[in-house]
Amino acid sequence: MTDPILSLNDARLTLDGNAGPVDILRGITLDVEKGETLGLIGPSGSGKSSLLMLMGGLERATGGQITALGHDLTAMSEDALARFRRDHMGVVFQSFHLIPTMTALENVATPLELAGKPDAFERAAEELAAVGLAGRADHYPAQMSGGEQQRVALARASAPRPDILLADEPTGNLDGPNGQAIMDMLFGLRDRHGATLVLVTHAPDLAQRCDRVIRLRDGALDRAEAAA
Amino acid sequence: MSLAADARLALKFASRELRGGLSGFRILLACLAIGVAAIAGVGSIRAAIEAGLEAEGAALLGGDAEVSFTYRFANEEERAWMTETALSVSEIADFRSMATVPREDGSTDRALTQIKAVDTTYPLIGTVGLSPDIPLPEALSCAADTPCIVAEQLLTDRLGLTPGDTLRLGSKTFVLGAILTNEPDSATGGFGFGPRIIVRRADLEGSGLLQPGTLFDSHYRMTLPEGADIDAIKAEAEGRFESSGLRWRDARNGAPGVARFVDRLGAFLILVGLSGLAVGGVGVSAAVRAYLARKTSVIATLRTLGATRQVIFLTYFLQIGALALLGIVAGLLLGGFVPLALAPIIADQLPVPARFGLFPGTLAEAAIYGALTALVFTLWPLARAEEVRAATLFRDALSAGRALPRPTYLVVIAVFLAVLVGTAALFSGTWELTLWTAGGIAFALVLLRLAGLLLRAAARRAQSAARGRAPLRWALASIGGPRSEALPVVLSLGLGLSVLAAVGQIDGNLRGAITRELPDRAPSFFFVDIQKDQMPAFLDRVETDPAVSRVDSAPMLRGIITRINGRPAAEVAGDHWVLRGDRGVTYSGPLPDTTRITAGEWWGPDYDGPPQISFAAEEAAEMGLNLGDEMTINILGRDITGTVTSFREVDFSTAGMGFITAMNPSALEGAPHSFIATVYADAQAEAAILRDIGNEAPNVTAIRVRDAIDRVAVLLQGIASATSWGAAATLLTGFLVLIGAALSGERDRVYEAAVLKTLGASRRRILGSLALRSALLGAGAGLVALAAGIAGAWAVSYFVLETDFAVIWANALAIVLGGLLANLLAGLAFAWRPLSVRPAQVLRAQD
Repeated sequence: MTDPILSLNDARLTLDGNAGPVDILRGITLDVEKGETLGLIGPSGSGKSSLLMLMGGLERATGGQITALGHDLTAMSEDALARFRRDHMGVVFQSFHLIPTMTALENVATPLELAGKPDAFERAAEELAAVGLAGRADHYPAQMSGGEQQRVALARASAPRPDILLADEPTGNLDGPNGQAIMDMLFGLRDRHGATLVLVTHAPDLAQRCDRVIRLRDGALDRAEAAA
Repeated sequence: MSLAADARLALKFASRELRGGLSGFRILLACLAIGVAAIAGVGSIRAAIEAGLEAEGAALLGGDAEVSFTYRFANEEERAWMTETALSVSEIADFRSMATVPREDGSTDRALTQIKAVDTTYPLIGTVGLSPDIPLPEALSCAADTPCIVAEQLLTDRLGLTPGDTLRLGSKTFVLGAILTNEPDSATGGFGFGPRIIVRRADLEGSGLLQPGTLFDSHYRMTLPEGADIDAIKAEAEGRFESSGLRWRDARNGAPGVARFVDRLGAFLILVGLSGLAVGGVGVSAAVRAYLARKTSVIATLRTLGATRQVIFLTYFLQIGALALLGIVAGLLLGGFVPLALAPIIADQLPVPARFGLFPGTLAEAAIYGALTALVFTLWPLARAEEVRAATLFRDALSAGRALPRPTYLVVIAVFLAVLVGTAALFSGTWELTLWTAGGIAFALVLLRLAGLLLRAAARRAQSAARGRAPLRWALASIGGPRSEALPVVLSLGLGLSVLAAVGQIDGNLRGAITRELPDRAPSFFFVDIQKDQMPAFLDRVETDPAVSRVDSAPMLRGIITRINGRPAAEVAGDHWVLRGDRGVTYSGPLPDTTRITAGEWWGPDYDGPPQISFAAEEAAEMGLNLGDEMTINILGRDITGTVTSFREVDFSTAGMGFITAMNPSALEGAPHSFIATVYADAQAEAAILRDIGNEAPNVTAIRVRDAIDRVAVLLQGIASATSWGAAATLLTGFLVLIGAALSGERDRVYEAAVLKTLGASRRRILGSLALRSALLGAGAGLVALAAGIAGAWAVSYFVLETDFAVIWANALAIVLGGLLANLLAGLAFAWRPLSVRPAQVLRAQD
């Protein structure tokens, strides 16, 4: 059996709130296998997004250990984490999080530039074409619809061919048809490039498209179940 | 609903919104406060000096009133009138001369000095300060058998003298009785070429000085009876001695030259201060816009709930109005009390008396400027606030509203702008300067805005070239993309830097022209007070010297133009500088070689008819003179009326000899007069010429042109540095606006940094990009300011000063570097948060 690509061992997250410390995640232990698609579901405030942030090194665990591709994320500096994401991870957010001062093409090219790819813009153009936005390359985020912005975000996340794709409710801000299209693209990209996908979602039917679904409740794993 | 009801409602909403505190308004408050404080501060210092001049007018003048004559003492009739009118009269003669100290090795040290020859009643008012601290009469009779003088330390240092040492004035020896530390009536003397010596006039007998024809002024200071009607006495003096060349001054304006200078410099500095307020206005406008952008959803919600446009406008107008009022009051407190607190330090730096206090008129002026600026710059964004529609809640705020406010608001803004300019003109007393300043500020703002847009476009275009250099490309993307800080940065930094650049370029060019180029063209020496019988020996000495390239000499008298075509001259030609005092007058039979007639005809060498006048062409045109005009010139108390028969070219720019008025010899030859000569010599020969002339003719005064130029250069430096302080206030306001821009852009930068970190950017690269964008924008603003400053400086040099213009590169570089560093500093001060914040904190908040 191969080593898991992502491994959480008693991962904890406690944040300081106005009324004192709040336990967001209470000791999560979990392995994600290479190439697996994992759905994280649960009610609002259950800690799904926080768990995803810990997996991406976007948030620092206050306890426990998280390893990705054999690297201990909890021991890395902020910059080391940034470099690790650059080389191995792609993240898609519910609110797209495109850089408003950059065009669609520039947004997609940014991670490739960061990785020092000389053909960053050519590859970015291909990725944009792959999500059907070749004609919108020079548009700024404010000039695009939500669905289009999320497609740009998807292209940006998949452009560097990451080992791990983390998606935080990528259809949460979109209507049904747009959300469906985004999901198709997300799974299509994942299938084409063979990345491991961790998907946070509210929608059970979307989660059912994953190999495995994990439910969270009050910052802890409720139960784990494998999808069909 | 009525306006009153809307206003009441708006007041409620406004007070609720202001409960949140002032945290979002610090920049708005600071911008207004600093702008108002700068104007109130300059105005307070000006008012303090004016109050000081007024209160100490009599001491400055040396009496309650003064009559002066050029070139002569009062005659018997004039003396009798003064003795009748005044309680006491003091007579003073003021002239230039040379002080010399023979050394044991046979050499002689010489220094130009301004001699005040006084009588025993001097000073009628005030006290002469001496070191050692003894009374003036004691110092002036310090030796039993030799007359004594007191002299300023500058002179005693130059000649290496201490009290008890001897020196020569003309051909007579004097003992230095004490060092002059305070001359109470020094501010009235105007521009002196040398340090002061005070001596009894009686002691000058036998010195060869104050001979007929010597250039001197006599002043008669009078103390008047309590309650005397000064206006009536003045009218009597001027009426009775109308044609005598008498000049009148009284304690109500004891130092008119100083008062005029302070008034003009003050007015100019307040106009510079207005440019600071304009920059502050840009900051205020940006702060209001940023605030209203944050409030878009609140406004949209209020609109959803039924608030009218009027209620929305009033709600935010009242809020911003209250804040502006707070800023103005803070500015008035600062500008009013800081000069008061620093009064001892400021007074020490001033050469004239100042009486510090709170001057309500000055503060009111600053408050009016502040209020009008706030109105002009806030109405635009406020007017746009009422355009926010309820639907904005469901759409991106960026695309809401139209670009221009409603026409009513545009008209109101234009009216306030006109009132602001009109008020400035009214207070400064000069429409021309105010309109030029207002035009300059408006032009600079338009130019800077265009430059900001251009910078954005250039950054957008340059992005493709920066591909592969991520931090540079991000920097260019942020400058060229939406929400770019290019406009506020270029506007805020640009105006202050433009003023500084213009001042630096003008000052550098002017001083360059005076200190570097002028000495190449100007003569080495002016020799004045050469008696007619001394001329042959003088000319023999200088004309035969191979080191002398050129000698010009001419007879010289001084006269006041009193009438033109039978009417008082001022009525005809206004306040032209030629009429402000006495001017040199010369005569010549043949047309001098260097003279070029531009109109009319020269009288010819043998002309012996009625007086004819040849007048300087440029000044004649300015004064509206025509050939055939009659002109009356008062010389030595005698009116000489002649006809203007020709105009000549007179070039004052070479500092050579230039007479406004020339007459035919028979008109003037009979009057006592001396000669003036200019000598152009090699620098190494100057000392020998000075020594020989000094030995041969000790009464002759030599003015070394380079020394005079140095004194002018020091004066110019003072004016330039005062202006630079004014510009620095503008720059400080600009810096605040920058910080405001950096603050309002911080959220965007934090967000951008979080996304970039998510995509794998290290903090070093993000910091590099932040620094690059600040440096690029700052340098861009500096370059634009430099272009605007150079254009302004060129215009002033070419049209006003009529001097050549060359870019002063050291100053130019400093402006660009200054812009770069200022913006880098402001940018980096706000880089900490984007770098330190963890992506999840930001990105989750956005979700």
